[in-house]
Amino acid sequence: MNKKWLFLVMLIGLLILGACSESTIPEGTESGGSSSSSEAGDQEIIYASTTDAVGLSPTMTNDSVSSSVMSQIYENLFERNPETMEIEPKLAESYENPDELTWVIKLKEGIEFQDGTPFNAEAVKYTFEKLIDPATAAPRASLLEPIDTVTAVDETTVEIKTKYPYGPLLAALSHSNAAIISPTADEAQDLMQNPVGTGPFKFESWNQGDQVVLVKNEDYWDGAPTLDKVTYKVVPEVSTAISMLQTGEVNFIDALPSEQLSRVESLENVEVTKKDGTPVYYLTFNHSQERNENPDFRKAVASAINRDAFVEKLNGLGVRSNSVLGPQVFGYDESADEAGTAYDPEAAKQLVEENGFGDEPIKLLAANRDNFILMAEIVQAQLTEAGFNVEIETMEWATFLDTARAGEYDLTFLSWSNVTSDGSEMLYPNFHSDNVGASNRAQYSNPEFDKLVEASRTTVDQDERKQFLDEANQLMLDEDAVVVMYHGVVTAATDASIKGLELDPNGQWFLQNVTRE
Amino acid sequence: MISLIIRRALQLLFLLVGISFLVFSSMYIAPGDPASVIGGPTATESDITAIRDNLGLNDPFLTQYARYVGNAVQGDFGYSYQTSQPVADAIMIRFPNTLKLAIASMIVAVILGVITGLVSALKQNSLLDVSATTFALAGISIPNFWLGALLILVFSVNLQWLPVGGMSNPFYTIDGIKELILPAITLGTGSAAMIARMTRSSMLEVIRADYVRTARAKGVKEKNVIWIHTLKNAMIPIITVIGLNFGLLLGGTIITEKVFAINGVGRLMIDAIAARDFPMVQGSVLLVATLFVLVNLIVDIVYTYIDPRIKYE
Repeated sequence: MNKKWLFLVMLIGLLILGACSESTIPEGTESGGSSSSSEAGDQEIIYASTTDAVGLSPTMTNDSVSSSVMSQIYENLFERNPETMEIEPKLAESYENPDELTWVIKLKEGIEFQDGTPFNAEAVKYTFEKLIDPATAAPRASLLEPIDTVTAVDETTVEIKTKYPYGPLLAALSHSNAAIISPTADEAQDLMQNPVGTGPFKFESWNQGDQVVLVKNEDYWDGAPTLDKVTYKVVPEVSTAISMLQTGEVNFIDALPSEQLSRVESLENVEVTKKDGTPVYYLTFNHSQERNENPDFRKAVASAINRDAFVEKLNGLGVRSNSVLGPQVFGYDESADEAGTAYDPEAAKQLVEENGFGDEPIKLLAANRDNFILMAEIVQAQLTEAGFNVEIETMEWATFLDTARAGEYDLTFLSWSNVTSDGSEMLYPNFHSDNVGASNRAQYSNPEFDKLVEASRTTVDQDERKQFLDEANQLMLDEDAVVVMYHGVVTAATDASIKGLELDPNGQWFLQNVTRE
Repeated sequence: MISLIIRRALQLLFLLVGISFLVFSSMYIAPGDPASVIGGPTATESDITAIRDNLGLNDPFLTQYARYVGNAVQGDFGYSYQTSQPVADAIMIRFPNTLKLAIASMIVAVILGVITGLVSALKQNSLLDVSATTFALAGISIPNFWLGALLILVFSVNLQWLPVGGMSNPFYTIDGIKELILPAITLGTGSAAMIARMTRSSMLEVIRADYVRTARAKGVKEKNVIWIHTLKNAMIPIITVIGLNFGLLLGGTIITEKVFAINGVGRLMIDAIAARDFPMVQGSVLLVATLFVLVNLIVDIVYTYIDPRIKYE
């Protein structure tokens, strides 16, 4: 009796195991194993990502991994040229402004979505209206918030009316979350799982948590890409990903941590690409606190922090500049590099001593990701050296977002990757008083600054906009509103056989012209 | 036996209700808002309100919990806040990997652990025993991430015998077995060490029992004394340790899954917690709890096979 039971249990166990194992073969992939598919000569690449995509609908996502998959599948009306940093038409042909509130955009003709739906003015109207509609609850609805109406004038002409003159509109339209979706596909299926765009690669399969597979779009309007297949493989541990790059199990990784850089650079079959990027990492004061509103306090903190010493620890993966808007961001001016308060430990000590800044403890909040903890430890040591009394509090990301939003800290580190590379897209969400209690985690509120940022948004003339952004930038630096630690360097490490990878300063990349030799 | 199973099934039901309430309320109380994570740092107040409305997070706690339980009893475990994928689907994609890994690790652990324990018990205080107990101590002390990284460096990067990571081939293929070897050793070593210690102490206890001396006095062959009289009687605590370890492994092993890029339940759970993806956390915790109860039930049934004196009424 007992033996029978045991046998039965084991049998059921084996059956379950057998049945389950079948389902682990992702649809559309061969069961031959990843090692065989990555041999040189095949026009295929395997990219390792530390996290999985959240979803593949531009409307419903807001994370960089999803963006990097989507930017091969979907396209925007405009895109920023990674070399010149100018905004150029992509799916659009041209545009004009009959007046400051109106943008008439001419679309390219003869383009089809991967499902055969024609790309036209109706598709653009559908995409933008869906993104803005509160019922959609799009995470990046604010991107197109200034848009009042979208009209399909004829098959290839769209007219966008904004509620007020909106200078960064083209930059917003080049954001990956404003990519154009196929209306027929969106109505028929869930784009989060089954995306359809106009881009050079189309969706093949997604085994969640494991890999996303894209294949060549043979009918791509700008000429089919050379690569036949692109696999995004989830490898959560960076050191594992590097080992896989070394053995050829993957051919491409990006966002290398500075402490692993020398290991990757020493690999024989691997090429490392580095490019000055748009992300900025900074220390901010909680501007809603009385103590932090004392200019001497902020000056003391700013002069106590040796940013050069920190950037040296990044092994070349950081660009040193005091400017809030980095060298790759629209609105930057060289004069801002040295603006603001320089490192001067003696001056800091004196200010701390004279004003008794060391008496009360300072809570330095650091999120438990990127290199915020390292930054916090180094800054804590430097501030302590100047006589401050600093306590670090670390927390994980979800808690940090809410804590910083509610202003429950004295000092904290923030960062901004700036997908659109436009200065208004940095200064408005992060420092305009409209966004206190939301994305303005610094709780910064300065009417003069607000005016300059508003002017940079509501002016359509790009030269004037740049002027306003520069003034706003300088104003923040004069006030020591934040202390910029560094500007990021975006990186990619690829197998030596991969040629033609385009790396954007915002960290995104495009595979349209990539080949394996 | 049947009554045992029925009793356990009822217990499981109450347990699941209790656990689901605990998980739901602790996630509700925990700081961090799922809408903030979905919206990211760029989200405005209105974006976050819209996302919260959309997810039904503005409803009172009990309404939310009642809605969850109401759907769950009909087999609907909800949709992920993050990916909007059905929770049951997301788990079922990953569970086979966790199951494969758990079984492979247990095979490593049982073979390694029982043999080491046996040898060290039979040759007590010899050099063999000392090295076996040292192995056991090391197995318990070495962190998984270190052992995993070391194995990858030696067997994948330098010798190139085995793949670094991933788990995408069926377990009965050569590639599938190759993928399993390193993670199973990494994970199995810790359990093997525990099993070895338990086997040793349990064997030492039984080997001094009167009936073993009697068996030897009767002239029973030493082989039979060890395998039939001693080991079988020493098995109960060993099976308990094996069952417990297997239950834990089925709950997913976050570090090993991360190091070897295995798409398993442990990683799903930890990612869901970080993203405050409540339905996904609920679903995976309930699965793990159910499996733990099931493994314990199997262990109890195995007891009756090993020791016929054990009976369940």
